[in-house]
Amino acid sequence: MFSVLIVTTEYDRLAYQTHRRVCLSKEEILNKLSDAVVTGKIDQAKAGAKEALAAKMEALTAINEGLVKGMSIVGDRYAAHQVYLPQVLMSAHTMYAGLDILLPAIPKAQADNMTKCTVAVVEGDVHDIGKNIVKTMLTAGGYDCIDLGKDVPTEKIVSTAEKEKVKIVALSTLMTPTMDGMKDVVDGLVESGYRSKVKVCIGGPPTSPAFAKEIGADHRDSNAQDCVAWLKKAV
Amino acid sequence: MAAITNEKADRLPVYPIACGVNRKLLNGGKGVSYRDWCHDPKLFAQAFIEGQKYFDFDMAIGLMDLSVMAGDLGAHVRMDEQNTPFVDKHIVNSLEDYEKFEVPDIKKGRSGVLIEGTRLFSKALAGQVITAGFLEGPLLALSQTAGAERMFMDMFTDPSAIHKALKVITDYDAEMVKAFGTTGCNGLCWDYLWANYSCLGDAEYGEFEAPYAQKLNKLTGENGMALAIHNCADLPHLDTQITKFKPAIYSMAYYPLIPGSPSASEVIEKGYADNCLVGGQIDPQLFIRGTVEKISKVTSDLCHEVKTALCKRGLNGRYCIASGCEVPPDINTKLENIKAVVDVTKKEGRLN
Repeated sequence: MFSVLIVTTEYDRLAYQTHRRVCLSKEEILNKLSDAVVTGKIDQAKAGAKEALAAKMEALTAINEGLVKGMSIVGDRYAAHQVYLPQVLMSAHTMYAGLDILLPAIPKAQADNMTKCTVAVVEGDVHDIGKNIVKTMLTAGGYDCIDLGKDVPTEKIVSTAEKEKVKIVALSTLMTPTMDGMKDVVDGLVESGYRSKVKVCIGGPPTSPAFAKEIGADHRDSNAQDCVAWLKKAV
Repeated sequence: MAAITNEKADRLPVYPIACGVNRKLLNGGKGVSYRDWCHDPKLFAQAFIEGQKYFDFDMAIGLMDLSVMAGDLGAHVRMDEQNTPFVDKHIVNSLEDYEKFEVPDIKKGRSGVLIEGTRLFSKALAGQVITAGFLEGPLLALSQTAGAERMFMDMFTDPSAIHKALKVITDYDAEMVKAFGTTGCNGLCWDYLWANYSCLGDAEYGEFEAPYAQKLNKLTGENGMALAIHNCADLPHLDTQITKFKPAIYSMAYYPLIPGSPSASEVIEKGYADNCLVGGQIDPQLFIRGTVEKISKVTSDLCHEVKTALCKRGLNGRYCIASGCEVPPDINTKLENIKAVVDVTKKEGRLN
């Protein structure tokens, strides 16, 4: 009897250690997700996301306290010029790799509560790094982002805003000649009757607060994190 | 020339970077399309010659656009009739694609137009103004060809693939330098755009462009041309590009809304104009959206800011009143605004 007890206890200890190796604690999983984003390790983010779901963790918790936490760290480091564009882009792709696994697991009711926004580079311009960084920070900020891509016709931006009932339209351009495309979008939203239901943010090197005011946009920013902070208050 | 050598100059030099916009002066003032201008060396050169007659600049820098090399490397360029063309289809879809880069025949394509056009306007304007060719740096040309986002991420994960392509593009640039060296232009202006703290740190720039740029800078001098650098980024690497690269001319922009973006007076106060003619920093948008009154005021203010800073530093005319980036070649750019910058500088930029 005594020997059986010893064997059983030893078995339990080994089983517990194995379980610890295979099943990380909630905190360990969240740290794994955050670290994956900070270091740009896509495979680690995918594995962490799967482990979060296997551990019955709420998908939104894994996103907000894991992936988004990591992206916020990267955003702060970028703003402080401690990391640069290659690292930020890798971290963004890593976050999206985790999101691809976690987003489908969000219950519909929770997903429907997320504020929708759309991001686009206006027609005639194909420079989309700035737009992609804004999209990343919006996603990290808890927004449901519809990315229309680059060189997007005005009509598509306006119709998407209406159809998807977005609350935010974020527009980007790098080039001076395509700035007028931003005005076209604002005018299109006015004509469609949807302007009052949406905040329009613009960004890109040639834009300015004065230009935003001139075309009837709500906000202009040169920093994606600051823009998200403004939206949190405005929407 | 006195400004470059820091000898006693009678006024600040002036050069709004008016290049493609000069095509509006061709064809008896009716203009030609951008497409025609950038595919014909005679039209390319004639635009600079007509621009000189009309505006009376102090320089002529033969910038075409930033898709010349990418196009000749095989990327698809979307040509606009009345504005800057751009790459709309990159040629790198996998890491293996970086190994497929080849130096194109520089006598063909728009590389050939650039060289022959520069030869023509340099000959026509010799002795009147400082003339320079314009060339994209290796990292810029690669980003235009591969797509900037893809390139940046591959720099992080597979740097050796990036270096393979950069070596080929540096060879392409080297052939272009040798060809420009035969055109008679006084200098060669490099666009090393990614030396920008919004994009790359010193370590990244030091790995992915500086060594290639140093080789090309040296080659520029060996081929009889003065070194000029254009960088219209918001947070340029001035210590690397001015202090270390030692250009004769450095052209830069100013972004007042970006914290840390250096103004004209700050650049002078920090000593960057001590051994280099710095040029800038009028907002290019003003040439489309501003009035003559507005741009005249901006130019006048800049002249006074610069003169005060130069005086404090004990320098002469070591600052060129210029646009921070190219005057937009847009059909709607106002020629009268370009003229206003030149005229105001000739008056307000006088040095005692």
